[in-house]
Amino acid sequence: MLKLLKKVVQVGEVTTRYPQQRVEVAPGFRGKPVYDFSRCVACGACATACPPNAITLQQDRERGVATWQLDYGRCIFCGRCEEVCPTGAIQLSDDFELASLSRDDLFSTAEIQLMQCETCQQYFAPGREVQYVRARLGGAGLSENGRWLQVLRQCPRCRRRRTARIIPHLAYGPRGGKGGKRA
Amino acid sequence: MKAGEARIEDLKQKLRHVIKRSVYVYRVDCGGCNGCEIEIFAAITPVYDAERFGIKVVPSPRHADILLLTGPVTRAMRVPALRAYQAMPDPKIVVAYGACGCSGGIFHDSYAVWGGARSICPVDVYIPGCPPTPAATLHGFAVALDLLQQKIRRQEHAEKATTPVAPEDAGIRPDIVRAIQREARRLAGYWQGKQIASRYLELIGDGDPVAVDRRVKEMARQSGDPRVTEILLRLHRLYLERTEDDERRGEDERRGQGVPAVGEVR
Repeated sequence: MLKLLKKVVQVGEVTTRYPQQRVEVAPGFRGKPVYDFSRCVACGACATACPPNAITLQQDRERGVATWQLDYGRCIFCGRCEEVCPTGAIQLSDDFELASLSRDDLFSTAEIQLMQCETCQQYFAPGREVQYVRARLGGAGLSENGRWLQVLRQCPRCRRRRTARIIPHLAYGPRGGKGGKRA
Repeated sequence: MKAGEARIEDLKQKLRHVIKRSVYVYRVDCGGCNGCEIEIFAAITPVYDAERFGIKVVPSPRHADILLLTGPVTRAMRVPALRAYQAMPDPKIVVAYGACGCSGGIFHDSYAVWGGARSICPVDVYIPGCPPTPAATLHGFAVALDLLQQKIRRQEHAEKATTPVAPEDAGIRPDIVRAIQREARRLAGYWQGKQIASRYLELIGDGDPVAVDRRVKEMARQSGDPRVTEILLRLHRLYLERTEDDERRGEDERRGQGVPAVGEVR
């Protein structure tokens, strides 16, 4: 008994005063992923990387809206979303106090407008993403009025059609495709 | 939403008027990986000491007030979990613990999994985490016992029209920034690499080569970690190579034997 008391005095109090006092988390602690809507371009890199599919991105082409959703109840706090995010829109914080009385409170959602194709008027990609790509390519030295700007405003299908129309011109010159001449 | 509020009210009634003493916890592992169990036991060690709040883990559901369900509820554990639920005296509080308990977590799409404690019985409190830290466990119990308020709220964002997101521009050419970030990441992993790269990019902000050189060497000397020093110096070498290449190209162009600039897509 005395031996035990001696030990107790030596060690002192180890219990944290947690709810009254903050707990210091280790550097690099992976807590609640915080989403910054103003930086998100809805590229879907996080949704592709997320191992448990806690992050999902769905495009509703009828309404023209991409819906991004993060389910904290499914998140495993691995930090892959932070790793792949090109704009730093999602970052893991120190916050671990996520307990909730309702399942509904564990969701974070965002709706981002899609952009219409210039040719066929169908929604095809988040407007933010297209504008971001444009700004990045402009910054990389592409000229401000190049052909790439038109390509960027078209949906993949129209882009393919356009290329299919251009190829004979590239191969046989502007009057190509009339046949016979080169055969 | 209304139903949710009613349930929370019901929970508070249970606590204030029915369970007036400390609460006992019975824990069922419904097919999890035991990471959650380890954190629960960490929460009842002297360091976190859950017994400060009268929370005690008991070996029988018949003594318990709180049922703690961990794991994604596999087919095999469904019936034992239900038996524990039915064996508990009313009123009882059910806590879904961990990502798996809340929604099935990483196992949510497995053929053998029911997908979270909610699929077998009504859940009062959700504690997300993979696994939740002991402190998060204590917070979850405090929320369950109405000692603390829940902090997390549903977040919804929407935009009416497209609002552009500007790329981050550090005043340095984007391809150099990218090369530096890639190299740092290759050398130090994504997390440390990101930090080291951003530290380095801050240094070369204004682009005056002599000043940049001095500052980088100063920082490398002060870092105190030989690995960080090495990475910083390597990044600096990369930066110098890139800028020298540019200068050479500029001279060639002046001489009239131009290398085509990064340019037009045809």
